[in-house]
Amino acid sequence: MDTEVRPVAPRRLDWLNSETDRWVSEGLLTADTAEKITGQYVASRSGSLTRVISYLGGAFVGVGLVWLVATNLDALSPLARFAGIVVIWLAFTAAAETLPLPRPLRGAFRGIAAMSFGGVVFQAAQSLQVPAYEPSLVGLWGLGALLYAYASTGLAPLVVGIVTTMIWFDWQVVATSESTFAGVFAVLVGGVVATAMAALHDRGRETFAQVWRLAGGVLVLGGLFVAAIPQIGDRDLAWSPTLLVALVIAVLLVAAAAARTTGLSRWEVLASALIVPLGLALVAWDPHVKDFASVSGEAWLSAFVSIAVYVVVAGAVAVDGSVRDQTLLVVLATGALVVFTTMQSFAVFAPIMSGATLFLLLGTLLLATGFVFDRARRGVAANLGEALS
Amino acid sequence: MNARTRVALVCLLNLGLVGIAVAGQLSARVTGEEIRLRVEPVDPIDPFRGAYVDLSYAGISTRTTQETGDAYVSLTRRGQVWEATGVTTDRPPEGPFLKCHDDGWRLSCGIESLFVNQDRAREIESEVSGGHAVAVAKVDSRGNAALVSVQAR
Repeated sequence: MDTEVRPVAPRRLDWLNSETDRWVSEGLLTADTAEKITGQYVASRSGSLTRVISYLGGAFVGVGLVWLVATNLDALSPLARFAGIVVIWLAFTAAAETLPLPRPLRGAFRGIAAMSFGGVVFQAAQSLQVPAYEPSLVGLWGLGALLYAYASTGLAPLVVGIVTTMIWFDWQVVATSESTFAGVFAVLVGGVVATAMAALHDRGRETFAQVWRLAGGVLVLGGLFVAAIPQIGDRDLAWSPTLLVALVIAVLLVAAAAARTTGLSRWEVLASALIVPLGLALVAWDPHVKDFASVSGEAWLSAFVSIAVYVVVAGAVAVDGSVRDQTLLVVLATGALVVFTTMQSFAVFAPIMSGATLFLLLGTLLLATGFVFDRARRGVAANLGEALS
Repeated sequence: MNARTRVALVCLLNLGLVGIAVAGQLSARVTGEEIRLRVEPVDPIDPFRGAYVDLSYAGISTRTTQETGDAYVSLTRRGQVWEATGVTTDRPPEGPFLKCHDDGWRLSCGIESLFVNQDRAREIESEVSGGHAVAVAKVDSRGNAALVSVQAR
């Protein structure tokens, strides 16, 4: 039997101590057994600290390497610069996969390897004078990072891969279609793809599912954010081949996720798909305002509907994060709601009410909702989880 | 297949992706014929690759077909530099010619950016604005072009 003492977060150990005390008092465990169980753990903050410092260090080194490529060190020949960054990329990859490193350091090395692969792509393009602002370079970086993530099962390369792929996708669509409508469409379709990927990863690769789900939340809330801005730009949907391919992929993934998953995962995917037409409708329904001193009733209705849709969607994302115990999703939804309301108070509601009034109204509404929610807090999350599964 | 083998294979695959990223320019550099073109400056920074000189080509960049898509610019040699003789949407039967993208108002032929450090970028800009510079590029048989350098005339 493994009797090694394991470091755990103090809060988790406090929870275990209180639970074992309860089990002892209920006669489920003997005091001796409870002591043996709790004796296997020791409170320590060093684990999370090591993780934070390692990932932070990895992020700085990764960004630094890409930045180094951008500084165009002409003391070295283009071939020497390319060889240098290739050696760095392969060295970090080999170190992450072969050396007996602590887990956080291995993750950081994988992140650096994924970032430095971007350096390799950009250095090759710089050395061969590929024209500037070429989105396909970011796309190839993202593809390489995703391939590495799935080969190594590393989370850091997955984060790099998802972020760069989504940047490429939206950049490519906007560059080829030059349409706000297409841009919002692309971000929301990206959200559907990410949410469907999360659902498909729920069985077997839960940590990957969490990252995909967070990406889905960012894209859905980001897309709706832009869609709700009044007078955002032209409303002609200019199709691009990239957008069409992404739409087909999204439909296939939604179908696969709906067929292969159940409960909350399936509902998340269907809800994210429903948000796409909602977002497009918000962009399309944008009454023209010539004079902000005399805004029409339809313009006010459009603004209120936009904010209501956003509050409901952000609330749903927060509840989803709460049910799944995914704190980052809750923080994301809450932060997005605050930023959105701030923006709306300055951009939309300034002529009818002050930003302070809007904050007070929305704050009171949320407090009332929170109060009702809290009254039922013991039941809501559990019942929701049960009902959806 | 274990994780290490998978990662090693992905590394090889990713090197292939780097090749795809620079395929046109690499082909032009390796198999292309060297040409010289008159050049005009513009000037900014790419977030991932740093300072560069944005170049347009006299008699080429503005020679649009008014349609979006591929365009081919036929070239003929006049003295030390090569000049455009015509632009078509069909690939010319013989070269040299440049394969460009026409966005309806400007041609992009893959040779518009010269990545150098900021000091050198400023020097090149002054040379180019004074009309004293030519671009040295290589062009392969399919019209792929790679910018090699910008030189004073």
